[in-house]
Amino acid sequence: MRRVLPPILAAFAAVVLWDVAVRAFAPPPYLVPSPGAVWDTLRDDRASLLASALRTATSTLAGFGLAAAIGLAVGSVLSFSRALASAIYPLTLLFQMVPLVAIAPLLGIWCGNGPPAVIAASALCAVFPVIANTVDGLRSTDPNLRELFRIHGAGRLRTWWKLELPWAVPSIMTGLRIAAGLAVIGAIVGEYVAGYAGADAPLGIVVMASLREFRTEKVFAAVLLAAAVGFLLFGAVSGLSWLLLRKWYAGVR
Amino acid sequence: MNRLAIALVAALLPFACKPADAPKPEGDGGPRKFSIQLNWVPEPEFGGLYEAERTGAFTAEGLAVEILAGGPGVPAPQLAASGKVDFAVVSGDQLLTLGAAGGDLVAIYAIYQLDPFGVMVHASNPISSMEELWKSKSTVACEGDLAWVTMLNRKYGGQDLSFIPYSGNVAQFAADPTLAQQCFITAEPVTLELQGKPVKVFPTRDSGFNPYNGVIVTRRSFLDGNGEAVAKLVRAMQAGWESYLAQPAPANEIMAKLNPAMSREAMDLASQRQAAIIRTADTDRLGLGAMVAERWKETADQMVDLGKIKAAPAAESLFRWTSPVK
Repeated sequence: MRRVLPPILAAFAAVVLWDVAVRAFAPPPYLVPSPGAVWDTLRDDRASLLASALRTATSTLAGFGLAAAIGLAVGSVLSFSRALASAIYPLTLLFQMVPLVAIAPLLGIWCGNGPPAVIAASALCAVFPVIANTVDGLRSTDPNLRELFRIHGAGRLRTWWKLELPWAVPSIMTGLRIAAGLAVIGAIVGEYVAGYAGADAPLGIVVMASLREFRTEKVFAAVLLAAAVGFLLFGAVSGLSWLLLRKWYAGVR
Repeated sequence: MNRLAIALVAALLPFACKPADAPKPEGDGGPRKFSIQLNWVPEPEFGGLYEAERTGAFTAEGLAVEILAGGPGVPAPQLAASGKVDFAVVSGDQLLTLGAAGGDLVAIYAIYQLDPFGVMVHASNPISSMEELWKSKSTVACEGDLAWVTMLNRKYGGQDLSFIPYSGNVAQFAADPTLAQQCFITAEPVTLELQGKPVKVFPTRDSGFNPYNGVIVTRRSFLDGNGEAVAKLVRAMQAGWESYLAQPAPANEIMAKLNPAMSREAMDLASQRQAAIIRTADTDRLGLGAMVAERWKETADQMVDLGKIKAAPAAESLFRWTSPVK
């Protein structure tokens, strides 16, 4: 309770402050909506908004899964060879540096519109921290233990599986936690350029459509739901991390 | 406590930046400074404005007008409604939806008397009419919630269509021979045609939804305090458009430099094509840019009928046509 209470109180205070500010300065609703108006939208449009959030969550989960799998694989391969790592690792930085919004329109052409492009955008956005943290984690293995494995004649793959990978789990989990938030951002960007509109359009489309209709309160509602998707994924990764690590490491969240 | 107070002030500061609503006094010597926010990149839709700037029509009326180019994602209606700019170019239906959301804008000039929206398909596409398209399983790149989309859905169903976001450029359309995409009949089709990719265009106004477009708006409070200056602006824009319609080349030259995505050649062709929706029977009678209450009422009623707004405001409150008959 002591850990849950402060953030809840802080969030509550922020909402109160927001409400007071809107009442005091009375900005037109198309610029800044009141928390009440956002709440009303969440309540009145809950069926369609939840359907939208579900679509975004599905793409996010797929994109995150893809990023996790690719990140782990690439990170592991890179850790096998210094030469390979020095050649390829800087290139993986590109995932981080390329402005997703700039290439997102191409994803629709390359992967096909709708979920394929959205999942690709999500994975593209989330993959780098997984690669980076996997490489870091694997490389930080205690050299003495590595030596021990070598003396006992363990092969490269066996050393990776039995020693390095378990050693790297906390680091990989950190990468996955960062990736969880990024996957949502990537999915929303993907939806902006290639998501299917219509009755159960994903959140990115809802944001865009509501902006065009000057329904700022609905924009806020959709953004809140997108954040909720991110929080859920983050929570799931943290939970997994706790399950995996609680017996082995102190201070695991 | 002190720190809390600072945090509080910092949090509230953005709300304190209220629009500079106070109208500058009229007739204090020196030109009146106005800003006009376009809702798209420079192209023939705004030819008359750039022409008025080029020929000095604004300065002749004692105005110093700054034209701010827009693009996809530039919130021209909100910028005007919040007073960040004095005038903005919006579509007729946006004026109504923004009004329903608490904005108070008035139209002072309508560049396009007939709605230039259309949906284009490649010339190679067997689809030959809007009805056929809307009953097909095509993918349409468009702002899927626009009023004319709802209108077409009502008319033809459209349940088998897939809608993807409108990107604001023709890259994806050019790459995909089956894609349909929204356009201004005066812009994208011309560019594509000159690139050797002919298209078929189905105007959306054939659906019956035909609002004014390229509508120049300002806040009601601003208009009330600056009636005379606004009348001057309208006169200057009329002069600019008269000149542009007669001879679009010089302004096109300027705009082609500002917007490298549309060639000079495309601008010339587009300016010829758009003349028919700029000069109509109404403008022959009332002057270029004129608006009539019946048209605004029709659009407002349609917007209510389509579920885009809850109640139709009085048509007379939506526009002010002050220009003297030419």
